[in-house]
Amino acid sequence: MNAIVFEDVTFKYNNLDEPTLSNINLRIEEGEKVLITGKSGSGKSTLAHCINGLIPFTYKGEIQGRITVNGKEPGSLSLFAMGTQVGSILQDQDCQFVGLSSGEDVAFALENDCVPPEDMSAVVDRALAQVDMLGKKEQPPQNLSGGQKQKVAIAGILAMNVPILLFDEPLANLDPASGKKAMETMIDIHENTGKTIIVIEHRIEDVLEHGFDRVIVMGEGRIVFDGTPDRLLAEDLLPRCGLRQPLYVEMLKFCGADIHEEDKISVLENTIKYKDQVVTRYLEDHFTDKRPDNRTILKLESVCYRYFKDDPFTIEDISFDVKVGEMLAIVGNNGAGKSTLLKTISGIAKYQQGSMFFEDACIDKWTTKQRALAIGFVMQNPNHMITKSMVFDEVAFGLRNFGTKEEEIDRKVMKALKICGLYEYRNWPVSSLSYGQKKRVTIAAILSMGPKVIILDEPTAGQDYTSYKEFMIYLDEIKKTGVGIILITHDMHLALEYADSSVVLSGGRVIARDYIDKILADPLIISKANLKHTSIERMGRLYDVEDISSFIAYFTRRITGGAL
Amino acid sequence: MSKSGSLYIERQSIFHGLDGSIKLLMLIAWTFLAFAFMDVRVFLAMILFGLFLLKLSKLPSKAVWPLLVFIFIFTLLNSGLLLLITPEFGSELTGTYSKAVGIGFYTITYETIFYCITLSLKYISIMPITILFLFTTHPSNFASSLNRIGVPYRVAYSVSIALRYIPDVKAEVENIINAQEARGVAFRKGDAGIGTRLRNYATVMVPLLLSSFNRIEVVSNAMDLRGFGKNKSRTWYHRRKYSKLDITFAVAAGFVLVLAVAIKVSIGAVYWYPFH
Repeated sequence: MNAIVFEDVTFKYNNLDEPTLSNINLRIEEGEKVLITGKSGSGKSTLAHCINGLIPFTYKGEIQGRITVNGKEPGSLSLFAMGTQVGSILQDQDCQFVGLSSGEDVAFALENDCVPPEDMSAVVDRALAQVDMLGKKEQPPQNLSGGQKQKVAIAGILAMNVPILLFDEPLANLDPASGKKAMETMIDIHENTGKTIIVIEHRIEDVLEHGFDRVIVMGEGRIVFDGTPDRLLAEDLLPRCGLRQPLYVEMLKFCGADIHEEDKISVLENTIKYKDQVVTRYLEDHFTDKRPDNRTILKLESVCYRYFKDDPFTIEDISFDVKVGEMLAIVGNNGAGKSTLLKTISGIAKYQQGSMFFEDACIDKWTTKQRALAIGFVMQNPNHMITKSMVFDEVAFGLRNFGTKEEEIDRKVMKALKICGLYEYRNWPVSSLSYGQKKRVTIAAILSMGPKVIILDEPTAGQDYTSYKEFMIYLDEIKKTGVGIILITHDMHLALEYADSSVVLSGGRVIARDYIDKILADPLIISKANLKHTSIERMGRLYDVEDISSFIAYFTRRITGGAL
Repeated sequence: MSKSGSLYIERQSIFHGLDGSIKLLMLIAWTFLAFAFMDVRVFLAMILFGLFLLKLSKLPSKAVWPLLVFIFIFTLLNSGLLLLITPEFGSELTGTYSKAVGIGFYTITYETIFYCITLSLKYISIMPITILFLFTTHPSNFASSLNRIGVPYRVAYSVSIALRYIPDVKAEVENIINAQEARGVAFRKGDAGIGTRLRNYATVMVPLLLSSFNRIEVVSNAMDLRGFGKNKSRTWYHRRKYSKLDITFAVAAGFVLVLAVAIKVSIGAVYWYPFH
């Protein structure tokens, strides 16, 4: 039976002139496992809203054609009736957690359905047990990690016993290991219950490694591909749609492998037939990976910090340095102490032990304001930073606070805007920019103040591959001007491709300080820091490569086209 | 306050075992009683009894004291203002005039001082039971308690939502302030004058409001998708049937409530003044 049918569906939001979805024809069978992908603005979220009923009930617009979900037309039902057909898990784990404890959150739908409290308990327990969260039943959301909140959300949907599960960008806010666990939970549920699973996500590699039946690629409001992952990976469609192929596929194509659907490369082990081709290529080509040997700008020595006097240290004995023109990645799972470290560097949190040096001067006594001029800090969410309505004013804001003269402000702001590719937008209102552009505005705003080090917290979060890539190119430009850049991230691809070196944090301590490829070749560090094995590493092992680290380094740099 | 932003303190006591709605009913009855009288003797008795109940609740005094002190200071300020503005008001009530302090035209009478004491004790008498309600009721039970005594569930649930998201919003405010501080905006004492600092706090409102609107949209979608508002009523995960204890306390509270209303309606809050 068809779980979801779209017949020639076109949808236009009331506040837009152009339709967001055009002529969508789609059939999803009961029990299928489908990935819907596409870059930002491709219409994939709108498609999701059409399935779960937020369109037409919450988001108004003109709909043409016919949608049926389990044989029923959403438009003829209510949003609540749709809720019994499709269970949705949203991108923002924090906001969708409405209960004051895990158990309560899972029970939320049951409460609304007037299930008697005495019957609820068993259902809630069973649902929590299915996602392995029963032990956290009484915990408030503040005590749970992003991945755990995600699991609670899944349990909440399981308790509703709906036939279709819809995941809207489930991996967006999770570290790699938690994302992997979330995917595994999903797959378990599929195997045990046979429910239809629809995942909307642009991190294709992280989804496809879990064995999906079918991928639908959206582009500009239309379906541009609908077929098996094997066919999708064999074709060249993904890069053309501004989407990222799995790393190992990029690598195979770089080596000139001739891939067909029948080769079934969606399963990594099936790529063994290309072994000779890949290994030859790797052995023939040479490069040396070198950390820039410039002078050090920022150095941390045994920095320790704890929030309260009686607590154990949140971060302990942190030592590393950043050089002029170096891009350093600080990687680690959620809760490893990354944000605390950031606060100590920016001076918001006063470290109790250890020292920091900026250009050989001890800055332990520096105030937040003094540090701000030397070390810029860009937050994850640009909307948390932007306070002015015009692009120019936003970028000039910091300088004005420090009492810089207007002529000088003008010169510095223009320079920063040019480096960040925003010069044409200088007189635009910030609100009319895309998310990626806003992100660049926040960087320009920091850059204009002339810091020697810029720290970016999860710089690529919330951006699709196209804007991510573009963003990193600008960051590379900034690096070339001699600014030291620190990326704080759990995105391994990002660290691997762009960082010159990396520091791995785990449990508040530095457990490794090395080139990222060396780190990613070390299974012990990977498991300790809750990182994820990259597909290139897995491939290196499949091909019995001796020096996994240089294999990883070679291919990531080659694929990115980065400097060798 | 705990990490989750609630005042609840876990203990094993008779009041922790009571349903939140019963405690709420007790609080209402108690408040009515306090407002039915204007009698120091009654208030003293209520305070003593209230402290006794507080003792039974096994709440650590360390947690309770700050709130008591706060109310104490509040009533002191209140009395001070009263004495300052209407120094002879007590005499109007009693019809006697005994001068206590006099500076020129400004005279405070003993009657007014006694009136202030009465009023302060009235406020203080409500404290123990309020503390009892706030500290022994699990936040998960607040909304369901309100709903149980007749508040529509859509309204009652907003209490739960507030408890849920206040810590998140607080963290967000800190985040935004930190980001602005790193761009040279002054928030701390000593960095700039009070006027500038207040204005700077206002700039934080822009990103905060924008992200709050976004949050509201996601939360309301999440609630809609899981059927909030589907039916005329809803059940509550943490609600259980009333126990014998609950009923006993409910009857007692109900009796007090009726009594208080009856007194108030029949004789009114008669002001007790012993020094005629």
